[in-house]
Amino acid sequence: MATAQHPPTPTVRPGVQPLRAGQGTSFLWHKLHSLLGIVPIGAFLLEHLLSNYEALKGPAAYGAQVRFLNSLPMVRLLEWVFIFLPLLYHGLYGVYIWLRGKSNIVYYPWAGNWMYTAQRYTGLIALLYIGQHVLRQRFMGISLPENPGAAFAKVQHELANPWMLAVYVIAMIAICWHFAYGIWLFAAKWGITPGVNSRKRFGYVCAALGLALAIMGLVSIWAFVGPRYKNTPDIVPLATAQLHIQNAPPAYTLL
Amino acid sequence: MATKTVQLEIKRQASPDAPAVWEKFEVEWRPGLNVTSALMDIALNPTTADGHATTPVTYDSNCLEEICGSCAMRINGRARMACSSLIDNLEQPIRVEPLTKFPLVRDLQVDRSVLFENLKRVKAWVPIDGTYDLGSGPRVFPQQQEVNYPLSNCISCTCCMEVCPQFNEETGFVGAATIAQVKLFNNHPTGKVFKEERLRALAGDGGVQECGFAQNCVEICPKQIPLTNAISDVSRDVLIQKAKDLLRS
Repeated sequence: MATAQHPPTPTVRPGVQPLRAGQGTSFLWHKLHSLLGIVPIGAFLLEHLLSNYEALKGPAAYGAQVRFLNSLPMVRLLEWVFIFLPLLYHGLYGVYIWLRGKSNIVYYPWAGNWMYTAQRYTGLIALLYIGQHVLRQRFMGISLPENPGAAFAKVQHELANPWMLAVYVIAMIAICWHFAYGIWLFAAKWGITPGVNSRKRFGYVCAALGLALAIMGLVSIWAFVGPRYKNTPDIVPLATAQLHIQNAPPAYTLL
Repeated sequence: MATKTVQLEIKRQASPDAPAVWEKFEVEWRPGLNVTSALMDIALNPTTADGHATTPVTYDSNCLEEICGSCAMRINGRARMACSSLIDNLEQPIRVEPLTKFPLVRDLQVDRSVLFENLKRVKAWVPIDGTYDLGSGPRVFPQQQEVNYPLSNCISCTCCMEVCPQFNEETGFVGAATIAQVKLFNNHPTGKVFKEERLRALAGDGGVQECGFAQNCVEICPKQIPLTNAISDVSRDVLIQKAKDLLRS
């Protein structure tokens, strides 16, 4: 007599598992990822783009800005705690988030879904770019904290390579996009903009900010590759604070 | 006299482990025909377009008026309710497939019990059972009713979960429907007794943090539930709850 062979009752149900109510720590790690994107990373991005803009005033002004930033108290500690470590965490956890999502824009080609996908690609571009940028500009070649006067020429030499220039331009646009949409996502996901209209209005604000930052960044790049400061010497002398006072016109001439 | 016909291509699978095959069907057109009624016509005469006898197509359906949530399936690539998918509005041949994110039972029938399990885990109900008559509930003001009513329209069709890039086996994301129900029951004057428990539940792995705000859920929802608004509101409530728990522990 044949006996029916029943497979053992599965202990785990197939398919997507139900919510692990109240268990695990992924909430904390996700929120940390989200917050770090705004502060300190977003705040640092603003600082960096504003500092870059000094390049428009020429090599001496740019070098002076580099010197100012490196004169901040405990600057090396600030650099690691507020820039390198948050960037590393945000980037790597972002890749982890990407790998766990399953994009479906083929079937559902809607604006929000495109933005979801774009946020992942721009994030990857940003991660790869920032990796090489920090390595080559901060840890390789002439050390800028000790030689702020060499800052302009170092960047200029880097951008003299048209491939590297293309990388910088693409990365500048991708990063500004990622940051602008990141602010929008932050507001939506932290419950700051829980209304359709508020999200729409804030979308315009973020788009304007992203566009402004991208234009600012690209104009700064132009300062290095344009004709105005061509062939900047490797190290330019920086005006010291004392020199400024000595060279300043007498107070009465300002009246 | 030649009659107008409707071409359908249906993805068939005899069992969860059987190979999937596409079968073509041709049914007679009539006014107001929808995908569910076309499936009924096939069941009356289960013969493929090229004349081979086959089995009737297995599918879930019940109310036939987009209110029970049973007949969600992928029609021409998109998740939607078969009963409200009018043939005249669809490009032919109409490709009908089961939902992709849920364990397949047979043909177009899938096991969507994960939603019921999720709703249980966030206590998506109003506790009114007791050993004595609890009397009438507190009054819900019309302003609050207007917020709650759209949320109460959820038919548990799972379309929002099917189209969500974050709803998959890796994340175990709870999905938009459950999050919207948390908002609904937290708004209820009796239901909010479980508010803190619901919010803590949603901070667990697969909780509200997994949302990537692709907003497909709100685009696809056949009942136009403001799902993204609910996710935003509930995310904030979960965050505040977790912060309170941290500081009060």
